[in-house]
Amino acid sequence: MTPLLEQFLSEARDFLQGIGEKLMQLEDAPDDAELMTALFRMVHTLKGNSGLFDFPEMTRVLHAGEDLMDAVRHEQVEYSQDLADRLLDAMDFVGMLCDEVETKGGIGAHHAADSARLAQSLRRLIASVDSAAAVVAVVATALPNELTKTGIVVFEGTLPPLADIPESIRMDAYRQACGGVDLHWLDYTPTADCFFQGDDPFFQARGTPGFLWGSITVRQPWPALDELDAYRCVLEFHLLTTAPREQLDEYYRYVPDQVLMIPVTPLFLALPQGDPNGGPKAYENFVDEALELLKANQLEDLVLVASNLIEVSSLELWLSSALRWLLLVMELEPENRDAFAKIIDSLRRLSSPKWTELLPTVSEGNLPPEPEPRLFQHSLTPEEAAVMSTMLDVQREILSLPIQANWQLGRVKAVAATLSSCLMASGDVAALAGLEAATAMALDEADSIPLLVWLDQFQLTRQSVTEESPANQVDVGVPVQPVMQETPLDIPPDATRASDGEAGAKFGRRAEDAIVGPKSLKVDQVKIDRLMNLIGEMVVSKNALPYLAGRAENVFGVRDLSREIKAQYMVINRIAEEMQDAIMQVRMMPVSFVFQRFPRLVRDISRKLGKEVNLVLIGEDTEADKNVIESLGDPLMHIVRNSLDHGFEQPEVRRAIGKPAAGTLTISASQESDRVIIEILDDGKGIDPDRVKRKAYENGLLDEATLERISDQDAINLIFAAGLSTVDVISDLSGRGVGMDVVRTAVEKVNGVISLDSEIGKGTRIRLSLPLSMAVTHVMLIESAGQTFGIPMDSVLETVRVPCANISSIKQSLVTVLRGNIVPLKSINTLLAIVAPPQANPDHELAVLVVRRGNEAVGLLVDDFRETVDIILKPMTGVLADIPVYAGSALMGDGSVLMVLNIKELLL
Amino acid sequence: MKRILIIDDAATVRMYHRQILETAGYKVDEAVNGIEALEKSLQHPFGLYVVDINMPKLDGYGFLRELRLQDIYQAPAIMVSTEAKPDDQRQAFAAGANIYLVKPVKPEQLLIHVKLLLGEALE
Repeated sequence: MTPLLEQFLSEARDFLQGIGEKLMQLEDAPDDAELMTALFRMVHTLKGNSGLFDFPEMTRVLHAGEDLMDAVRHEQVEYSQDLADRLLDAMDFVGMLCDEVETKGGIGAHHAADSARLAQSLRRLIASVDSAAAVVAVVATALPNELTKTGIVVFEGTLPPLADIPESIRMDAYRQACGGVDLHWLDYTPTADCFFQGDDPFFQARGTPGFLWGSITVRQPWPALDELDAYRCVLEFHLLTTAPREQLDEYYRYVPDQVLMIPVTPLFLALPQGDPNGGPKAYENFVDEALELLKANQLEDLVLVASNLIEVSSLELWLSSALRWLLLVMELEPENRDAFAKIIDSLRRLSSPKWTELLPTVSEGNLPPEPEPRLFQHSLTPEEAAVMSTMLDVQREILSLPIQANWQLGRVKAVAATLSSCLMASGDVAALAGLEAATAMALDEADSIPLLVWLDQFQLTRQSVTEESPANQVDVGVPVQPVMQETPLDIPPDATRASDGEAGAKFGRRAEDAIVGPKSLKVDQVKIDRLMNLIGEMVVSKNALPYLAGRAENVFGVRDLSREIKAQYMVINRIAEEMQDAIMQVRMMPVSFVFQRFPRLVRDISRKLGKEVNLVLIGEDTEADKNVIESLGDPLMHIVRNSLDHGFEQPEVRRAIGKPAAGTLTISASQESDRVIIEILDDGKGIDPDRVKRKAYENGLLDEATLERISDQDAINLIFAAGLSTVDVISDLSGRGVGMDVVRTAVEKVNGVISLDSEIGKGTRIRLSLPLSMAVTHVMLIESAGQTFGIPMDSVLETVRVPCANISSIKQSLVTVLRGNIVPLKSINTLLAIVAPPQANPDHELAVLVVRRGNEAVGLLVDDFRETVDIILKPMTGVLADIPVYAGSALMGDGSVLMVLNIKELLL
Repeated sequence: MKRILIIDDAATVRMYHRQILETAGYKVDEAVNGIEALEKSLQHPFGLYVVDINMPKLDGYGFLRELRLQDIYQAPAIMVSTEAKPDDQRQAFAAGANIYLVKPVKPEQLLIHVKLLLGEALE
C-alpha cells in the first residue's frame, strides 16, 4: 500500500467517525447551521480525497451524500431522521469499502450495485427539489461503467483524436489497413434534441459496422446540476471503423448531416507514446546508428538493433512504443523507407512523426485531425502551449474584473508575475521588457488597463506569428537586449523588507490566530511500542547501579565510590521515571474513543427494539493506556447491548409500573488511584436472583445443597459463569447473560475486575475496574527452593506467617484458619514440581502468600517473601509460550531473569 | 529554486500534490489553513501557491485576499476546488487567484501549470 493510500484511509476513518458524530449531534439540534456546514465540509473533503484514487464506488456514494448535504445546508431539503439514517448507512458502506481497500488493496466490482443503490437513495431525497437533475446525475455516474465494459472509453473535453486510441488498437487497425481494408474516423454529433426524434445515439454509434474503437466527449463542460437539461444530448461520438465508405453511408443514412467521415491513412496511426524516460538525449546514439544502417540499406541489421533495444527496454517507454511501430511498419510496408526514417527521427524530439509532410497528397482538406503540434515556441509541447493560451485568457479575465480597491495592487502584481512566468517558460524573453513597462504603468495608475492593452497586443502578435512561421520569436513592446540577469520574478528588494517582522506582527495578533488548534502528530504505534520497550529496558538496567554500589562497598571496600554511584543513580532514576511517565502519557487515550460509538449504537438498537432509552455519558475525558482503552471496546459493547436487549422494559410496561417511559443508560468513567473505573448503570428491571438460581440448577451449575445456601449476590454473579451463556437460557432470564462469561474473560485478560449488582425493578449496575496501563506490572518477589519468582500483585491478597502448628490437613490437603475462614494451602514447590519441602523460618513459621482464585482465597506456601518491584513483563516466546503457568519473564536490575507466575493457571 | 506552498486542510490532498511536485523536483511546503499559509508566506514569500477553497479558520478566498493586500512578492496562485461552477471561478479570480483547476488535478496538468507559472524556460 502506498503512503498516499494509507494517509487517505487513516484520514477517511477520522472523517467517517466525525460525520457519524456530527449527524448524532444534529439530531439534537437540527437547526444548527454551523454543525451542518461542518458536516458538509467533511463529506465534501472526503469525496474530494476519494477522487484521487480510482474508487468510483466510493466516490459515487460520497458525491451523492455531498449533494444531499449541500441541499440540506441551503435549506432545499429538510433534515430528517430518515435522511440521517440513510447518510449513516452510506457512511457505513464507505467505511466497509475502506476496510476492503485496506485488506485487499482495492474495491471489488460487486459493490457497484450497492454503491449505485445507496447513491440513488440519497439522491432521491434531493429529487423532490429537482427530479430531472437527479436523474441526470445517476445516468452520468452510471454511464462510464457501462461503457467501459463494452470497450469504449469516455473522455471529457476534447482531445486530439488518433493519439487517444490505445496503441494495440491502432496497431491492429494499421495491420488491417495494410491488408486492404479502409479506415475511417467518424465524428458523430447527434443534435441536441435527438432523443425526441427517436434516436438512440449510443446504440447507433456502438452498432457502427467495422467498429474498432470509440470514445465519447462532451461538447461543452457539464453545466451545474441545476442548470443541466437531461433531455438535451451534449455528447459527441468518435469512432474508428474498418467498414467501407458505402456501408457507413448506408448505416448513417438518416443522420448524414451529423456525421463527419474522415478516411485515415494507415501510417497516420503510427504515433509513438509513452514515458520519455530521460529521452530524447539518451536515445541519440541509437538514432544515429539506426539512421546510418538505414542509409547503408542494412535493413536486417536495423531490425536486429531495434529488436535488441526493445528487449531491454520497459514496455511503457516512448522509446519502446516507437520501436514497436518501426518494426511493424518495416514488416508491413518494407518499401516505405521514408516512413522508417520519420519514426527513427521522432526519437530525437519525442514528438510524433509528422506524417503530413511525407504524404502531402492526402491532405485534401479531409485530413484527420492531426496531433501536429501547433507550436509557436519550440520549447513548449502542444499541451503546454494550449494551457498557456488558456492561462493568458484567464489573466485577461482577471484584469477585466471590477476593481477591488484594497487588494487591486496585489492582484495586478500576481497577474504580472503569472504573465512574466509564462514568457519565461516559453522562452519569450524579448517580450518581457514590454510586460515590465506595462506592469509599472499599471501599478503607477493603480489600474489594470495598461496590462490589458499589453496582453491584447501580445496575444494578437502571438496568433499571427503562429500562423505565419512557427519558428519566429515573438517580439512585443520595447525591444531590449535579451540579457535578463535579474529575472523580474526575483523578490523585489522592498518585499524582503516587508517580510521581516513587521508584516508578520500584523498577522500574529489576529483574533482567529489566538485559537491555534491542538498541534498533533500521528505516529505509528510500532514506534511508540519501541520507545516503550526501550524505556522498559532502561528502567530495568538502571537498577543495576544500586547493585554495583553494593558490590563496590561490600566486595571492593570503596565506600566513597559506592556513595557516588548511589548519588548518580538517584539522578538517572528520576530522569528514567519521568521519561517513562512521558512515554506512557503518549499512549494515554481518553475513554471517549470507546464511548463515542455508543450514541449511535444505543439509538439504533433501542429503535429496533421499540424501546426508548436516553444515554448519559460521564467522564469521557478520563484517560487510560491505549491497549486498555482498546480492550474495553468489545466488553462494553456487549454489556450495553445486553442492557438494551434484556435490561430495559418496553415503554408501555415502564409506564404501567410508574417509571418514565424512556429508560436511562448511564456510562461513566472515572479514575481511582491507578485504575480506571467504568460503570454501566441502567434503570431497567434488574436481575431476579431466584430465576438465575433455578436456571443454574437446571444447567447443573449448582447442586441442591448450594442452591439452598447461596446468597442472592452470589447467585447474580453466576451469570458470569460459562455454562449460563447459552442463548435460550438467557432470553428467559430477566436480564443479562449473553456472553457475560466472554465479557469477564476479556476484562480479566487486561487484569481488570468486573462486578455486578442489581435490584429487581430498579436496575442493574456493572462495574469494570481496569489498570491505567498494562505496560508496567507490579509484582511481588518470593523465594522457594532457592529460586526467585514473581507473583503479580493484582492476585496477591495478603502475606502471613503461619506457625506450623496451625496447619492441619483435611483429606490429604493442607488448610489453615485465617480470621475464622478456612484457607486451603498449596505448596508452590509441589505446584511447580520441585521436590523440596517448604522451609520454615527459625520461629517455625511458614510463609503463606494468600492469593485470589476467582472468588476464594488460596494460600501458597513459599520459603520467603521479598520486596515488590515494577517490571516490564515480556510474554514468553517460542516453545516457552506453551507453558501457561508462566505469565512471562522480566529482566532484573542485576541482569538476572525473573519468571513471573500466572496464578490462575498455576492453581488450575 | 522557487518554493511552492500547498494549502489544503485535507492531508491526503496535500500529500497527493506534494508527491507530484516533489517527484518533479520542486521544493514544497504545506499549510493546513489560510492563517498558517499567511504566516508562512510572510516569513518567506513563495514562488507559487496551490490553494484549496474550503478550509477551516481562513478559507482559500480569504487567504488570497489577505495575501494580495501584503507588500510582498505577489506570486501566482492556483486555486484548486471540486466545484466547476463559473461563479466559483469568478470569485476565485476576484480574490486574487490566477488559475482555477478542478479537483482531482491530474499530475501532468498540474505540472504543466506549475512549469508555466514558475517561468521555467527549457534549456
